[in-house]
Amino acid sequence: MIRFLLAFLFVLTGLSFGLAQEEDHSKDLVTALSSDMVSIQSNFTGTEIVIFGQASHIRDSSGEADDFQLAIVVEGPPQDITTRRKGRFLGVWVNREAERFRNVPSFYAVASTADIGEIAHRNVLDEYSIGLNHINLAVSGVSNVALSDRDDFRRAFVRLREETGLYSERETSIEFLTDTMFRTKIPLPANIPVGDYTVKSYLFNQGELVSETQQTLAVAKIGFEQVTFELAQNYPLVYGVLAVILAIFTGWLAGVIFKKD
Amino acid sequence: MQLYLPIAEIPVNIFVIFAMGGAVGFLSGLFGIGGGFLLTPLLIFSGIPPAVSVATVTTQVVASSASAVVTYWRRKAIDLKLASILLAGGVFGSLIGVILFDVLQSVGQLDLVISLSYVTFLGAIGGLMLVESVRAIRRRKSGAAPSARKPGQHNWIHGLPLKVRFRQSKLYVSVIPVVGLGAIIGFLGTILGIGGGFMMVPALIYLLRVPTNIVIGTSLFQILFTMAAATIFHAMGTKTVDIVLAMTLMIGGVIGAQFGARMGQNLRGDQLRLLLALLVLGVGLRFAVDLLLIPDDLYSIAIRKGAGV
Repeated sequence: MIRFLLAFLFVLTGLSFGLAQEEDHSKDLVTALSSDMVSIQSNFTGTEIVIFGQASHIRDSSGEADDFQLAIVVEGPPQDITTRRKGRFLGVWVNREAERFRNVPSFYAVASTADIGEIAHRNVLDEYSIGLNHINLAVSGVSNVALSDRDDFRRAFVRLREETGLYSERETSIEFLTDTMFRTKIPLPANIPVGDYTVKSYLFNQGELVSETQQTLAVAKIGFEQVTFELAQNYPLVYGVLAVILAIFTGWLAGVIFKKD
Repeated sequence: MQLYLPIAEIPVNIFVIFAMGGAVGFLSGLFGIGGGFLLTPLLIFSGIPPAVSVATVTTQVVASSASAVVTYWRRKAIDLKLASILLAGGVFGSLIGVILFDVLQSVGQLDLVISLSYVTFLGAIGGLMLVESVRAIRRRKSGAAPSARKPGQHNWIHGLPLKVRFRQSKLYVSVIPVVGLGAIIGFLGTILGIGGGFMMVPALIYLLRVPTNIVIGTSLFQILFTMAAATIFHAMGTKTVDIVLAMTLMIGGVIGAQFGARMGQNLRGDQLRLLLALLVLGVGLRFAVDLLLIPDDLYSIAIRKGAGV
């Protein structure tokens, strides 16, 4: 809560800056996160972050609110992901074609004030990766997928990621608290990968990008989860031997406890 | 209660996992098997990534066999010499298995190989056991003399060189089939996340003619150490051994196994083999159905590099 208040103060400070330098568009948009760190512990079942901020021009007194639009994109650390399609081979369903997507976000969530398509021209959306249809899904050179099937693979990839909650698109989910202050919640599911996330906020005026901000969000395991994970990664032999000792001890203990007579 | 798994990186319902461990542990104690061939599919079907399921079950099998080995050790029903030679083969097979596991995973055919292997081995062994146990039960009902072991009977295996005497098993056989058997089962066990007891036990009985009262303890003893090696190989190779998941399965498993082992002593051998045969066939069938029916989703994704690998 204290973090939240601090962030709120930060926004207000930003606002005063914005008023002081009205001509400087870079100060038109100020954003803050409810927390810059998500900790994963044994009871982690997912969480959400709140992004809030101030867009000084978003709704002026003349009521021309519709000209200004906001989009907020949360992206996780990049991954290489292979998408495979099954086909029948000798009567059995097996993976046939495969397409490898390079450096795609491991997590992607977009929130906006309007339908994605109305915010800006496709080229602009593509450039800033705003919207599930506009993520840059670069494929590796080696691929056995026919050109005509490439779109199917892209669609399947995005759909599968959406099903696991790792990709999401929430149009018109940014809510306004006052004429200029906004807030949105981005759910982070339990299966989010750890790493450094970026939160990018874009302010558009009649389809033109006028201002953007960027924050980072760290998702990290802490405590026992961190120790276990790092042991497994950095000292695999120790980890393996430890697992075996633990297993033999557990088994032996049970054998002793449940001894007949 | 949800518990976050540090290696699998997903939360699971701890009671469901505990119950799975317990149920499979009961069956493993009952039949003298590791239970991996039931537990690995159960975990995969419940949403744990296949690589984590396979690697973690090897750890769980260590615990469940250790628990049962204590019981057989007390009964002096383990042929240590036979088990050691099987084990030497097993560790070698396991090492090859981990290497192949990695290769299959990167070409996207691991799931297929796991499924096909389950269908083949479970189908074949389940079928053989079914036929054998039904015959044995019929013979017993008709009052004929049991023919489980005929000391004078030899097959081609007994003609191989490098013969060694196994006093406790009252055997004099070549080490070649013993090492080979250990290697094959260590290899399959590592790839499939199973101890391989359901293959080892019939192989020892029918191929090597090991006496039935020695078979289960010896098989469990060698599985214990082969799977311990497999755990270490998986921890170093695939890095998918989840210690929290393993611990939950173990505690459920060892408790279940104790009850199973006791109940097993009250059942006849041929009845046990019939039940096990049906169980093995059932799991094999389940995999066959999945391979043959049109999948719900033709597409699948696998993370190859970057966060979360």
